[in-house]
Amino acid sequence: MSDKKIQMIPKIRSGIVIDHIPAGDGVRILEILERDPRMKNIPVTFGMNYQSNKLGAKDMIKIQKDDLCERTIQHISLVSPGVTIKRIRDFEVVEKVSVQPPHDMINLLKCLNPGCITQNEPGLKSKFILTDPVQNQVTCVYCERVFSIHELSPII
Amino acid sequence: MKKDVISMHDLTLEDVQCYLKTAEKVEQIPLEERFRLLSGKIMASLFFEASTRTRLSFEAAMYRLGGNVIGFAEQGATSVSKGESFSDTIHTVESYSDVIVIRHPREGTARHAAQISFLPVINAGDGTNQHPTQTLLDLYTIKKNFNKIEGLRIAFVGDLKYSRTVHSLLQALMKFKVNEFMLVSPESLRLPEYLKKVNMGFPVTFVETKKLEDAIPYADIIYMTRIQRERFPDDIEYEKVKDSFCLNAQMLKAAPEGLKVLHPLPRVNEIAPDVDSTPHAEYFTQAKNGLIMRQAILLNIFEVAI
Repeated sequence: MSDKKIQMIPKIRSGIVIDHIPAGDGVRILEILERDPRMKNIPVTFGMNYQSNKLGAKDMIKIQKDDLCERTIQHISLVSPGVTIKRIRDFEVVEKVSVQPPHDMINLLKCLNPGCITQNEPGLKSKFILTDPVQNQVTCVYCERVFSIHELSPII
Repeated sequence: MKKDVISMHDLTLEDVQCYLKTAEKVEQIPLEERFRLLSGKIMASLFFEASTRTRLSFEAAMYRLGGNVIGFAEQGATSVSKGESFSDTIHTVESYSDVIVIRHPREGTARHAAQISFLPVINAGDGTNQHPTQTLLDLYTIKKNFNKIEGLRIAFVGDLKYSRTVHSLLQALMKFKVNEFMLVSPESLRLPEYLKKVNMGFPVTFVETKKLEDAIPYADIIYMTRIQRERFPDDIEYEKVKDSFCLNAQMLKAAPEGLKVLHPLPRVNEIAPDVDSTPHAEYFTQAKNGLIMRQAILLNIFEVAI
């Protein structure tokens, strides 16, 4: 058996592969998947710290489920911008997209400012705008505070 | 489309210049003629937090344009104290009025009100975030004194962390390409970093100091602020910094002739009373300009040509 085959986690017949995850971010993506009730009883395989020409080291997740919902994909794009989501059919990649944070983030992240109206008004959805895609900075539409995406907790 | 005044971020340089021009025109109109301009209109004045100048000048502005005012000056006098939701209060008030002026201790409340109401909403201060009408009247005061805004040197003094008037004015001055500021504050009340990170397309320099004396030879305008006890989570922290700066007439003897001292008021002891009689004191005129600018804002919202 070649070194490559030993190293990689098994192929899946059909489902979703999340690839090119910077090493360490995979655990954060798993947390998002775990909190999605549609993921209950879905087999998931997780590999850490594979060699990667592009990233040096990467994590990888294989999910035996045909689709991820839009909201879950948006959350993944927030915790690890630039990861690749591949759709697999009969062991072949049929679709491949690199996910980036959306410009408008409605009810995806919780504002860190305790004085923000979104923290105090029941039913009011948070809204952030991606104001600096390079630094991954967002601005709360309500209190106008600027945060790094990584500072904020996701609303699952 | 209804016009809201929520944040300086929403206003372009042209919008701001339009407000300044309208205010100039308002000031030229005799009082008895102003009385006819908003006859029959009702302004809802919803102050969930204490205010003297902002509330009174808004209400006086409306009365002097011939309109009427309903509202409250504190949350305790409303159904909110009985547990009514904020959105229910707004929907109730919009049945009785033509424009809503709101002050609230939570940041983002005016934006929320504007989103849920079909009436125009004016932000009269939302927590530590924005106070756009104060900013517009500050700009009007600066323009009246110097006949320009760009190129002026402005020192902000005092509570630069929590003061929404400082935050709003700083952003507005950058729209006018003011690119150098002096920031005078105690360590615990420094300007938040996120306000320095704004990308205006040109470099902006912040000179930070803890000495008020540094500002006097430097600035065209010294913008004083009160150390706001109500914003401190802890009384001990307030006590440590409450008397950090006190500007007096003796200190101003070293000032350039044209230096103007502004303050959004109320003051406590950061400006000694002996400054009031110097030619540098501009804060009471600034408060007076508040009424003019708020009339300009109301006329703009109702699209009354003057």
